[in-house]
Amino acid sequence: MTLPVEHILEMQGISKAFPGVQALDKTDLFVRKGSIHGLVGENGAGKSTIIKVLAGIYTRDEGTVSINGAACDALAPAVVHEAGVRFIHQELHLVPYFTVAESVFMGQEQHGVLGLAGRRMRRRAEQFLKESLNCELDGKALIRTLSPAEKKLVQIARALIDDKARLVIFDEPTAPLASGETEQVFKAIRRLKERGISMIYVSHYLGEITDLCDEVTVFRNGATVAQLNRVDANSTQTIIHNMVGRDIDALYPEKKHSDGARMFSVSALGDNSRFFNVDLNISAGEVLGVAGLIGSGREEFIDTLYGLRRAEAGDMQFDGRELKLKSPADAVANGIVLVPRDRRNDGLVLNMSVGDNINLASLDEVAWARMEKRGLSLKRANELSEQIDIRPRNPKAITRFLSGGNQQKVVLARWLATQSKLFILDEPTVGVDIGAKVEIYQLIKELAANGAAVIVSSSDPQEMLGLCHRIMVMYRGEVVEDTPIDAIDFDSLLALSTSGARVASTA
Amino acid sequence: MSGTNSVSRPALFSAGALFSAAPLIIFIVLLIYLGISAPNLTDPATINLILKQSVPTVVVCLGLATVVVAGGDDVVSGGIDLSIPATAIICAGILADQLTNHGSPLWSAIALAAVAAVTMGVLNAVLVVAIGMTPLLATLASSVAAVGVTKVITSSRRINVDHPFVIYIRDANVAGVPSAVLIAAVFVLLFCFAVHRTRWGMQLQAVGGSRDAAEVSGIKTSSLVAQSFFIAALAGFLASFFVLARGSGSTPGSEENLLLEMVLATFLGAAFSPRRIVTVWGAVLGAVLVTALSVGFKSIGVNVFWTGCIKGTLILIVVASAAYSGRAQS
Amino acid sequence: MRKHRTLIKSAFSTALGVGAAVLLSGAAQAADLSLKGKKIGVAVVGTQHFWDREAFNGALDMVKELGGEPVPVDGGRDNQVHADNHDILLSNKVDAVISILGDGAVEPKFEALKGAGIPVFTVDHLSPHGVNNTTSDNYYMGTTIGRYMADAIGGKGKVAVFNAFEGALRICGIRAGLWKYVLQDYPGIEIIQPELAEEFANAPEDARKKTLDLLNQYPEGTLDAIHVGCWDQPAIGVVQALEEAGRTDVKVTALDGGPDTLEIMAEDGSPFVANVAQQPRLIGQTAAMNAARHFAGESLLPQTFVDVRPVNGPEEAKAVYEELGYGTL
Repeated sequence: MTLPVEHILEMQGISKAFPGVQALDKTDLFVRKGSIHGLVGENGAGKSTIIKVLAGIYTRDEGTVSINGAACDALAPAVVHEAGVRFIHQELHLVPYFTVAESVFMGQEQHGVLGLAGRRMRRRAEQFLKESLNCELDGKALIRTLSPAEKKLVQIARALIDDKARLVIFDEPTAPLASGETEQVFKAIRRLKERGISMIYVSHYLGEITDLCDEVTVFRNGATVAQLNRVDANSTQTIIHNMVGRDIDALYPEKKHSDGARMFSVSALGDNSRFFNVDLNISAGEVLGVAGLIGSGREEFIDTLYGLRRAEAGDMQFDGRELKLKSPADAVANGIVLVPRDRRNDGLVLNMSVGDNINLASLDEVAWARMEKRGLSLKRANELSEQIDIRPRNPKAITRFLSGGNQQKVVLARWLATQSKLFILDEPTVGVDIGAKVEIYQLIKELAANGAAVIVSSSDPQEMLGLCHRIMVMYRGEVVEDTPIDAIDFDSLLALSTSGARVASTA
Repeated sequence: MSGTNSVSRPALFSAGALFSAAPLIIFIVLLIYLGISAPNLTDPATINLILKQSVPTVVVCLGLATVVVAGGDDVVSGGIDLSIPATAIICAGILADQLTNHGSPLWSAIALAAVAAVTMGVLNAVLVVAIGMTPLLATLASSVAAVGVTKVITSSRRINVDHPFVIYIRDANVAGVPSAVLIAAVFVLLFCFAVHRTRWGMQLQAVGGSRDAAEVSGIKTSSLVAQSFFIAALAGFLASFFVLARGSGSTPGSEENLLLEMVLATFLGAAFSPRRIVTVWGAVLGAVLVTALSVGFKSIGVNVFWTGCIKGTLILIVVASAAYSGRAQS
Repeated sequence: MRKHRTLIKSAFSTALGVGAAVLLSGAAQAADLSLKGKKIGVAVVGTQHFWDREAFNGALDMVKELGGEPVPVDGGRDNQVHADNHDILLSNKVDAVISILGDGAVEPKFEALKGAGIPVFTVDHLSPHGVNNTTSDNYYMGTTIGRYMADAIGGKGKVAVFNAFEGALRICGIRAGLWKYVLQDYPGIEIIQPELAEEFANAPEDARKKTLDLLNQYPEGTLDAIHVGCWDQPAIGVVQALEEAGRTDVKVTALDGGPDTLEIMAEDGSPFVANVAQQPRLIGQTAAMNAARHFAGESLLPQTFVDVRPVNGPEEAKAVYEELGYGTL
């Protein structure tokens, strides 16, 4: 290994297959020494797979890896750690009641003759945070009193406190932060660069990538599609092109929207922490998409719409009435229907039969004097599962054993049975195969055609564009766009989600 | 962008903080009331008595606190070991049976009891760490098993013990302080040091604070949790000598009261800690206060069943407040 | 029937005379006896059971009657708590302690009280550190129940015994030991080994379960009687189990004769055939009076024995029930 060392990390021709999926296909990743290297790609492009290969969690099928010029045949967590590679996970992994010093030294506590060297650790932690991360913190402060950005810096300090780090991998470090706080983390990252540490920066926020990174690798479908050796503000467009690079197929039903009566509106809604000042209007027969990255406040906003979280500001109007929601049950009682994102936990009683799950929300209609009429409820379940084609067509089948798509259809069937006027569908097709997706889209279309208002929250831009009449985009807690579908294209939707502003449209 | 002002620091005296301090406040009020109505409660002799009576509870609390520190203080899914009193009882039963019924020498009786304690520790560790049972259920089951074995060993009968070693723990005073209190104090200091002042202890706390955080920091979490159950069994073993001394023998059924007081004291102890978490010294303080409360109530002639009722209510408040602050933190 | 009952009653009136004499002499002396200005600790192991409660209340009432101030402590049916309660009495600086029941755990406490100059008057617990022990005539109880049980099963057969406390409590040692002593003269009677051990707290339910197991182990015709060696609470569960299993051919005998077990004995066809009834209230009162006698300078014998009432069969059960003032059956 006498080559002049230019790259801190060379991963060449890496392949990794899982049953049925080629997650990485001869992928390359080169990180120049002393640089901040951006790694971008859509969900499922292979970013986390290659990180896990590097971490020694997955074993690669083929390809070579060398760290700091030394070839590493077998990667194991201990080997990688020894080579000075550190991972900053997206989750903070901090104990709320530990002090800053205790957190920084977790796992590598320093010992004196008479037990822990508390003062030495505190001074060292304070000094390291200040000198290496540009952050003044009291070593005795409890983690739960820190801001999200400060917590992130403590997490970073923990990974680097042993002064042996040469390559640090950041996975979405700013995801839990509000926009004002990201700068503090960026400053710390730049300080690390000054101190000669190389970094890989994984993020969906393309604005951050162009701000921070010296070079960028773009992944798509498990392959390296672009390597940018220089990055400037204009790179965003190139990156988006390379990330997407595929056609939008005709998956979606033809959109028809007859202007109906105003059904539901929200004005200046906020919870004072994750989303602010959100307006939303939806009419009968309309499908409205809410887009935004994870951490954009979209999930919290949707949760608030059906009463799972409390709004701290603003108000909601439904069918001409003011709406105050204390719980999801409240929302249901008001005729609002929710299909939750984690249906296995929130939406279905998995050990109950399909029929019972379908009738769960409308028991009153199949009950007489509070006793369930078994025959009637089975008959209704049968009708509904036929209508939306749930397989197996057996209301007595146990829900747990259905496929994801069919489970989702059970949830939808349940709400169809309630004849509601407002539907909130949160990630309706996550984990659903393509065939079932089409049926679910068809169902959503029918709901709207029958006069219901449908709000779809999704992280899949194609789904949004194909399904909705109108799209609003959230970025860092605020709505940055609310537009009819024909005034937005894929690139601008992605740009809005990832940087909060449109880039020059290529369409 | 209005994100900059979203950095919120929790208020020092919020309703939540007040609620988590509720057990402490109630306790202090009760103690003040008792101090006034039973003036002899503050006599040095009475304080000596309270300390002496609290010793078995204090020692089992050392074990429970260690397990809770390592497993987290979620009452249901966190670390808990309900089998420590049963371990104490089985060890006491073996010691009594060996010393009195078989006339064995002290060292062999102690060795046999230690084998039983080690078995309990290993059993709990395997159930929780290797098999993955909820600690609550696993230790409840092992507790029932241990009590059953104790009944077999002692034929469910009381066994008197008058071995000089046990009598020494029971009766001797060193400089006016009961020997049991002094010995227990040594154990308390050892546990406090190990759990709160060593690297091992910090890592134990890290595991209890966040299993994931400990793991990404390179801490061997499973091993530490297993060790905590082992140490809990050790505490049960140590407690058995005090149980034996207090009763001048082993009595069937004495684990129940011990269990109640152990759980109450340990979780009450969390209210003393500024961070509102279970600590070794907090549990010890809790154990002494719970005993003071029992003694105080009896001194002013409160019916024993009311005392039970008050203790039960306190446990409820303590556990509810632990659950509440746990929810508030997540 | 009625005539028979009157007969028994009259037969007992003699015995009653003896008891009344004790009571009367006590009352007569109570005029000069006094506990005025004295704090008397009264410790009882528990108050769930009739016997304990009666003895406890008897002692408390008599202390008050004699002008003393009782300091009651209740062990909640836990021998350890009971023993620890004596420490509290010591720190409360009482003038005397009346201690009802308790196992070996109380001995060091008695010693400490004695060391502090506080006299201890025990009930049903003979201790070298006590001034006096008031108790039933346990020797008579043990031999009588032995004879009655042997008669009930015709002098031969297999007998199971609940005997957890023979080694732990001296009174139980006497009662169970003398019961066995009597059975030595009946070579046809075999005591099933191992003996059963009842729980101290929650005894009826525990005994019910253990009896059901026993009945499974010894099918019809292989078990003739079940005896409870020292008290009567487990017998309640034993009778329940026999009735559940339809095995009321098995005879039950026990000691103490509280109202609950006398009621069971009085039922038609009850398997519970023999008992020896104590007078717990009188025992408690006597202990308090003994304390007063001690303060009056009298020297007391180590033990004061209070009369018992043998109960053989349902008719005697009804008679004793009435005689001891529990009501009419």
